[in-house]
This record gives sequence, structure tokens and C-alpha cells, in this order.
Amino acid sequence: MRTSILAALLGAALMPFSAMADDLDLRLKKLDSEVSRQAETIINQQKAIEELKDSLKNRPAAEPALTVDSSSKTSGFFGGSLMNNPYISVILDAKGYVSNLKNGQLAGRGVPGYTTEGTGLRNGFNVDAAELLIFAPVDPYFNLYTNIPVTDSGAFLEEAYVVTTGLPAGLQVKGGRFKSNASRLNSQHPHAWAFAELPLAYRSFLGPEALGGDNGVQLTWLPSLPFYSLLGFEVLQGANPLLFGDDDNLGPHAFSAYARASFDTSDDSSLYLSPWVMFGSTRTTGILPADDVTGNSFDLRGNSALYGIEALWKWKSGRQKLTLQGEYLYLVQNGELSEIDAAGSSVKLEALKRHQDGAYLQAVYHLDRFGIGARYDRMEIFSDTFERSGANQSFGGKPWRVSAMTEYHFTEFSRVRAQFNHDRSDRDGRVNNEGILQFTFTIGAHGAHAF
Amino acid sequence: MQRILILLSVILLLSSPACAAVKVVATLPWIGSLAKEIGGDKVDVTTLVKVSQDPHSIEAKPSMIAATRRADILMYNGLDLEIGYLPILMESARNPVINPGNPGNFNCSAYVTALEIPTSTGRENGDVHPLGNPHYHLSPANMKKIAVGMGERLGKADPVHAGFYRGNAARFSTQVDRKMKEWQGSRLKGKQFVSQHRFFEYLAAEFGFSIVGYLEDKPGIPPGSAHVQSLIAGMVKQKPHAILSTSYHDQKPARFVSSKTGVRTVTVPHDVGAGGSRDWFWLMDAVIASLE
Repeated sequence: MRTSILAALLGAALMPFSAMADDLDLRLKKLDSEVSRQAETIINQQKAIEELKDSLKNRPAAEPALTVDSSSKTSGFFGGSLMNNPYISVILDAKGYVSNLKNGQLAGRGVPGYTTEGTGLRNGFNVDAAELLIFAPVDPYFNLYTNIPVTDSGAFLEEAYVVTTGLPAGLQVKGGRFKSNASRLNSQHPHAWAFAELPLAYRSFLGPEALGGDNGVQLTWLPSLPFYSLLGFEVLQGANPLLFGDDDNLGPHAFSAYARASFDTSDDSSLYLSPWVMFGSTRTTGILPADDVTGNSFDLRGNSALYGIEALWKWKSGRQKLTLQGEYLYLVQNGELSEIDAAGSSVKLEALKRHQDGAYLQAVYHLDRFGIGARYDRMEIFSDTFERSGANQSFGGKPWRVSAMTEYHFTEFSRVRAQFNHDRSDRDGRVNNEGILQFTFTIGAHGAHAF
Repeated sequence: MQRILILLSVILLLSSPACAAVKVVATLPWIGSLAKEIGGDKVDVTTLVKVSQDPHSIEAKPSMIAATRRADILMYNGLDLEIGYLPILMESARNPVINPGNPGNFNCSAYVTALEIPTSTGRENGDVHPLGNPHYHLSPANMKKIAVGMGERLGKADPVHAGFYRGNAARFSTQVDRKMKEWQGSRLKGKQFVSQHRFFEYLAAEFGFSIVGYLEDKPGIPPGSAHVQSLIAGMVKQKPHAILSTSYHDQKPARFVSSKTGVRTVTVPHDVGAGGSRDWFWLMDAVIASLE
């Protein structure tokens, strides 16, 4: 004890006197301000507590907390009750088919001057595909969709893409493998088609499944306007074997741009208009069949642009629904056509120029579960240019087709459709009168369909 | 170039928030009507579904996407009633404000205690709603809770007028209480009805009447003849007060059963706007009058 006092005295003696007084003063001031600050904090906190109490008293009911609530209440985006599992659905598309043509004739029946690919249907029973759809939100920023049709030739990754949900200013990016949205019909799944197959113009320019799933990126912009309008751009790998085709020398070589606008013409009806274009470089052997005499095939390298404009008017009132729709497609294609012999070497090189068009008009009417519809397809309305070395080729009369269908929806998950086609797409070749009985069944998640 | 600039500036002008009113997009007429009641002149309400349309079979029209794109709050029924169009609408609208979990996403059913949550959800039972019966809007008790929740939510979106919204919600609540006394005086208690669709369960639970049979054996599926025969047989014995239907349904089955049993059919106004109703109270008055 004594030593510590001594040490303190010694320390004090060593320190200059005045400095010590200053220090004490400073410390006291500091303490003072600290105390007053703490008092202020306490008062503030008390105030906050009172305010909280008041607000609690005034608040008649608390908002339900999302975490406390059962999953059923928070069913958000896709609305289902299994939030942590992806939504799964399977769609079966089966067809019964009869035609006046034999299966061999059907397989090789293309549209002369456009495509050599047949429709793929055979007399008798056909199961086109069991489509497996799996989709779910990835996180608050992305939704993921996959579409895996299983067909006779195996399972394919038709689509697997993400869509952004959090971008500002009405922007959205879609990326992965997807069916181009440039044309509304192109993006529809086969079970959503109004008829058993796509319009003739689609089959002629793009093939029976249209562009199909392709790898790429899409950017769309929905401006904040009083009516619906959308601008879209896509960069695609260009896998479609008819309009673009795999090309070892090029990366992404297919592009699209489209605009959409729609307004309501009344409470129950709306009009939709959309011009679009798909363009890029082409490498295909699917335009012309092998030469009858020499057996030589034709390989095209060039550039293509397919323009389209769609108009759609939909009226839905009470239990009735009427859809009128038409679309005009115009192809511009320039390139070199090389004739390849059996040994695989090019024997002839020709300039190719195509300016061809086609269109369809259709009407579908529904009353409750019943539906009826008719469609008229026609190619070469204004333009039928198909020039090889500057000489226009004649393939015969213009391709056309007329279809009628009637369908019955047992529920929104099952449908049977009977369709008849009088098909003159083979020009001066044989007429195909075909009857199709289509069955479509859906199980699993409740998928919503786009307009 | 100049033209493009003018066009761009017009677009920008149109897309900028022109007025301060909270832009509410409501799916069903009663939700839009309630939003107007709570929001008054401080909100700008767009209702997507018209009263003439069957709420089960709505398609996502582009005009709905355009409206949802500009929404500050999306208000919807929930319990999967809008499953056919709302998911695609929300994704297409490119408006993060209304995504689930954000304040701009107002699910009315979050304030409701759902009835008839099925134990089995197989579609062999028809179009069952796994989350429970979604037609809860004819329930005064639920409506009060939704109104209060809506007032709070509008206050969050527009804090300046939070008191205004809360006051309107409270006023709505007291008016429900006052009207409830009047409605309780109706002679519905103990009555028995047959209904086309599972539409009146919440009302029945609160007003003490019962639905003893359904024309639709399975939800969303037209009745089979065997079911209709057994229903008729039961009704001849039980003599229910009336057969309840709504205007968007096919009236034929109801009329057929009526002709076989002598039980009258009543087309009950199903949402605000039906039967000349201008708001929810009016609708409730009309509903209860039609049931009596």
C-alpha cells in the first residue's frame, strides 16, 4: 500500500503541475458531455418505444408475415402449392392418320421449290411426342423452363432457358435454348397449335416444327405505354436445317427482330399486330431433292431473310370465343448452289436467288368445350422467283391447302380433334386428302398459355 | 433524326410517372372495387377481368400485360384462381415491383382462412384447387381482414397518405359490422340449397345455411347424367330452397334439374357489377336478397 502511494506521489511530482490540472479539466468535460449524450439517447429510446407502442395500438391487424405463413398462402409465382419443387407436366400428343397416299409417298413428299422434308405422319397410329416440361423460379431473378419431347427417335432438349424477372425499365433477357419468339406461332408448342400442324408457309420456309429450339440470347423491351407494345432482338446459333443450318465456319449466324402491338377493340376483343424478320447465313441441302438422273445433291450457301407480318383478332365473351388470324411471309434468299456428286465433290456452281412468299388465313370458334375451325394456306401470292443462274425455275402450279377441324375439350387438360386437309402442296403432284384424329393429354402443373 | 428524337421524347414522357396516384391493377371486379373504396382518389385502379367473364377461364391479353407493366401494386384473389393467366402476366409484365415477396404484390387470400382444402388433389376429382376454395369474397369476416391489410399495404406504397388509407379501411370495417346486423336479420339460417359450383361455401358458413348438393359433381366438369338423377331423387325428398347458379355458367343443367324437381333456380350475382351492383355492399345486398 505504502509503496503504491509512494509511486503515485513520485509520478505526480515528476509531472508538471499545470499539465495535470488541464488534464483533469478535460476529463471532466468529456465525462460531462458523455453523460448528457447518454441521457439524450435514453430519452430518444423511450420516445421510440412510446411511438412503437402507439403504432402497435393503432394498428388493427398485422400484415401476415411471409415466413410464418404456411406455404399455401405464399404460393407465388406459378401459384402452385409445392414451392420448393419444380413444376412438372407431361403432354402426350397422339395422332391417328389416314391418307389416300401410301407411307412411302408421304415420307418423300416435300413442297417443291421450298423443302424436301415430309410431314412425318404415317397411315395408322402415330405418337408424335410425350413432351416433358419442367419449370420453376430459380431465385428472385430468374425463371427456368425446360421442354424435353420424347419421340420415336429419342429424347431431345428442345428448350432449356432462363428468363430474367428483375430487370428494370421493362427489359427482359432470355437465354439458353429456346424457340424464337420472333413469330408468335414459332414459339408455340405443338399442343398449343390451333390445327394439327403449322401453316404451309411455315413448313415451306422453316420446316414442320418451324425454327425449333435454338441456342441463343434474346432481349425484349416492353415500354410503359397505355397500350401493349414490345420490341425484341435475338441472336441465335442458327441450327434450323432449312433456313440457316449448321455452319462450321460461323458462330451465331441467325438473328431476329420483331415488334408487337396490341389494343383492345372492345371489353371482349383485342387486336394484335406483329411484323418480324429472321435473317442470317444459310447452309442447307434441304431445298432441292437429289437429281433424278445423276443422283447429285444440292448444297446452298448464302444469306436469307424471312419477313413476316401477323394480324390476330380475338373475341371472347361468356362461353364463346372467336379467333381470326392471318400471316404473310416473304423470303429473300441469295447464294451459291453447288451440285455435289456421289463422291462428294462439287461438279457445278450456280447463283441462286429466291423471292418467294406465302400466307394463311384461319378462323376458329369455340363454344364451351366445342370448337370448329378452318384454314386456307397458299404459297406464291405475289412472288415466285426461284432463279438458278439467272433462269427462273418452274415447279408447276402454286402450292395450297385447305383444312377444317372440329375439337372437343373434355377439360382443359384433355382434347380430341378431328381434322381434314385437302393438300395441294405438291403442286402438280398428287393431291393428299388426309384425315387426322389428334389426342392431347396434359398431366401435372397447370401451364398458362401466352396470347 | 429529329423525328426519332421527338418520338423518343414522347415515349419517355408517356413512360414517366405522370401523376402521383398509386397505380393499382386488380384482377377481379370486387378487388378493384375494394381498392377504390380504400384508396379513394389517391389511387388509380385498373381491373383486368370484366364481370361478364368466367373468372376460371381468363386469358392473358396483351392489354393486361401493358397495364401490369405500369402497376405499383398488383392485387389478386390467390388460391390458384388466377393460375391460368397470372403467372404469365407477371413474367411478361417485366415489372419487378409486383413480383412475389415485393410490396407491390398483394395476395388477398393471405388474409383469408381458406375452406375446403382438399386432402387429395388428383385431377380425377375435377379441377380441384389444392389451396382451398378460392371463392371467399362473399364472406364479410374475410372482407374486413382484406380491407385492413389492403389499407396497410397502400400505406406502405404511399406513406404520405397512410393515415387516409388506414382510416378508409377502418370505416369499411365498421360499415361491414353495421351491415352485418342487417344481413343477420335475413331468413337464411337453416335453409338448404343446391348449387351449381362451389361458390357459396364461405357465405353458407357465415350465414348458417347449407349447400346440400352440387350440380357439378366434380368442380369444373359438367354433371354426368347418373349424378344428376341421384341429385334429383335427393332433392325431391329434401326439397331445398333453391338451386344457385351464376351468370357465367351454362344455365341448362340448372333449368333441367329445376324442371324435374320443381325447385326454383336463382342466378346469384357473383361479383361487383353483376345485378347492377356498384360496390361490394351493394353486391352483398343483392346476393342475400336473391337467396331469401
